[in-house]
Amino acid sequence: MSSTLTREINIEQRQDHLCGYFQAMASPCEVLIDIAESSDISPRHSLWDEAYKLVSAIAEEAWRIEDKYSRYRDDNIIYEINHARGRRVEIDSETFELLNLANTCYELSQGRFDITSGILGKVWQFDGSDNLPSQSVIDACLACIGWHHVTLNEKYIHLLPGFALDLGGIGKEYAVDKCIQIARQQLPDFSVLINFGGDISVTQPRKTLPYWQVGIEHPNPEEQTQMMVKIAQGGLATSGDAKRYLLKDGVRYGHVLSPHTGYPVMDAPRSVTVAGENCTQAGLLATLALLQGAGAESFLKDQKITHWCLR
Amino acid sequence: MQLDNSSTNIAASLALATCTLLGSTPALANESVDNEWRFDTAILYYGETDRVSLVEGVISATKDFGDDHIFNGKLTYDGLTGASATGAVPQDTVQTFSRPSGHGGYAVAAGELPLDDTFRDSRVQLNAQWTQPLGDNLRGSAGVHASKEYDYLSLGMNGSLAQDFDQKNTTLSLGLSYQFDQIDPVGGTPERLGVMPIPTYIGDDYDDDHDDDYDDDHDDDHDNAYPDRNGTQNKDTVDVLLGLTQIINRRTIMQLNYGVSVSDGYLNDPYKLVSVVNDLGQTQQTLFESRPDQRTKHNVYWQTKYAMDSGVFDISYRYATDDWDITSHTLESRLRFNITDNSYLQPHIRIYKQTAAEFYQPFILDDSPLPTFASADYRLGDMDAYTVGLKYGQQLDNGDAWAVRMEYYQQNPKNAGFDEPGQLADLDLYPSVKAMMVQFNYQF
Amino acid sequence: MKKINKLLCIGLLASQAIGCASLGVQPWERDLLAKEEMALNAEGVDLGLDDHIYFSKEATSGGRAFAGGGCGCN
Repeated sequence: MSSTLTREINIEQRQDHLCGYFQAMASPCEVLIDIAESSDISPRHSLWDEAYKLVSAIAEEAWRIEDKYSRYRDDNIIYEINHARGRRVEIDSETFELLNLANTCYELSQGRFDITSGILGKVWQFDGSDNLPSQSVIDACLACIGWHHVTLNEKYIHLLPGFALDLGGIGKEYAVDKCIQIARQQLPDFSVLINFGGDISVTQPRKTLPYWQVGIEHPNPEEQTQMMVKIAQGGLATSGDAKRYLLKDGVRYGHVLSPHTGYPVMDAPRSVTVAGENCTQAGLLATLALLQGAGAESFLKDQKITHWCLR
Repeated sequence: MQLDNSSTNIAASLALATCTLLGSTPALANESVDNEWRFDTAILYYGETDRVSLVEGVISATKDFGDDHIFNGKLTYDGLTGASATGAVPQDTVQTFSRPSGHGGYAVAAGELPLDDTFRDSRVQLNAQWTQPLGDNLRGSAGVHASKEYDYLSLGMNGSLAQDFDQKNTTLSLGLSYQFDQIDPVGGTPERLGVMPIPTYIGDDYDDDHDDDYDDDHDDDHDNAYPDRNGTQNKDTVDVLLGLTQIINRRTIMQLNYGVSVSDGYLNDPYKLVSVVNDLGQTQQTLFESRPDQRTKHNVYWQTKYAMDSGVFDISYRYATDDWDITSHTLESRLRFNITDNSYLQPHIRIYKQTAAEFYQPFILDDSPLPTFASADYRLGDMDAYTVGLKYGQQLDNGDAWAVRMEYYQQNPKNAGFDEPGQLADLDLYPSVKAMMVQFNYQF
Repeated sequence: MKKINKLLCIGLLASQAIGCASLGVQPWERDLLAKEEMALNAEGVDLGLDDHIYFSKEATSGGRAFAGGGCGCN
């Protein structure tokens, strides 16, 4: 959650590209614009204005999506849905499309991907300790989980009392893709990369070098450096967090939770990075892979997609 | 468990799904802030053939102030007009009766059951209830109510505790309520088994305004024709309700209640009469009824609801008994069929049977000693009743819901074993009461 | 020893009997019971109106809730 106080954007020139940056969705956000063939621009150059307009529009869009779908606010549609206490809530078409995507993922993953399972994240504190929640607490959570109990159509959504939605698994990737559309519209002749805290998308290959080389936080916490990734076009997303786990009786509990058992998925990779057609698809594939547990790698292999798995 | 063989399609399916999503134009920020108050409203028309008709409106408002701290307020208004049975027997000649106010009288045709046709009243009731958790598995609730009609005032308060056990599968509850009622009968409180005076003239009161004895327009002091009569009468009622709710399985929930209700004070209906007849069945006198001034009621109520795949089956049974010797059985069932995701049809049936109060008698014989207590109110006599109804409900796309229901209610009072002397044998002392109910609900 | 065996047997049987008769559901099995129409006080406005009608027309009241009618119709 970023407060409106920190809602400002900055732009600077870095060698062969312009970089705009701001904070959104609790992450550092970057917009990189390839200027390899027009390298001598100054703040008075019109391209600078174009870049400033683009970064502003992208930041506005990111903040709009954050405001609309954050579960840390009490004035948005998610709050309204989660506090409807069994009433139907009217939704707009954007929300419907997002929820419909969540529904597709629920079906494709045979119920493993479930946006009603966010409540589990509140009882599992993955702080490296051995504090496992009690079975009764987990049972209480499971009573309020199950996307198949949700009624969704284009006009409204109906949740049973006690149920809550968490779009944390989709929202940031979705924002990246929405913003990349703005980049395509506003600067159709430039290669633009958007990086919201490791969720990345690129409009088109660069002019000189075909790819962007970006550092993302290394999924392995023992590595001090960033992991460098080369990306020419499309989306890239990482799911998993190697630093978040519990350790009890020699068993390591990773932070990927199963909506069926309420427990972490056993033998899941620490993190999965996937390259896809767009950021949302990549992020969902990475999450679905994690939910496969021990079968993550074979799942990714079956999908014939570029991926990195850290165990 | 691994994904099935179609798993290779997932990347493609997701690519398609995300393209659909991203192809959509961004919508404007959702500005609708939902009203957190929830309103249930209903309007009911109840009409008996040739007798009472009633229109009752209800507005119930509920708000959750967070963490299950819930307030409910309810406003009820009803307007009643028409005639109701006085308890006096029909005769094969014209009968005359005084109006309760003492001003004037009315005539009842030969063979007709005497009805007091001047019933007209309106009533306003307010209820407020607050419910909140008192601990992990303990809930408390407290409420008050006030109801006012022209000649009647009722004030009450209640409190209850509910404790959950076994992962909330079992709930035990204990409730207490106290109610204070005050009646200020039109024309004052008649003497128990006092003789109803013969009216000095038949027709309207001296003033049209006073035609309706129960009319709200009356002055508070009633313009009393019986200045020597007592005024207001009081009644205190204490209820204790013990409840057990048990979840049986994923589809079934059961409730068992035991209730005791003790009423103390003026339990008469000041407008009800008893005819004194001779051995030819001819009315000699008409007396005001007399009921005991205490009543203790016990009842046991059992309800089960069963969730079907596309509906709900609800059945309940109530057994009630009291120290007036009234025993009753009530069997009731509702069967909800979901026609679509948003609409349902619900038939309803209710069967009721009661035995007479020990002091109930349809008339008093003039050659027998006058009893201490006597009432000819058919509602305290032997009676069967049944209700059949149908309800249709629909949920709208905007989240509101409406429903309409129609019910038919018939009461069949029965002779509780009284011999009918002379002309009474040929007259219908126990006519059926038939009523239709139509109700419309709207929820928003 | 025999006695202990017998006790054990009875104990086992008793626990099985209780097991068979055990009531209730796990929290995640409340999906159907959580529906609005499965609440015991569903259609509360209808039930209140019915209670008022029958209170004024019959000798018995209460059961589901407190017996008091709050009106002078009986």
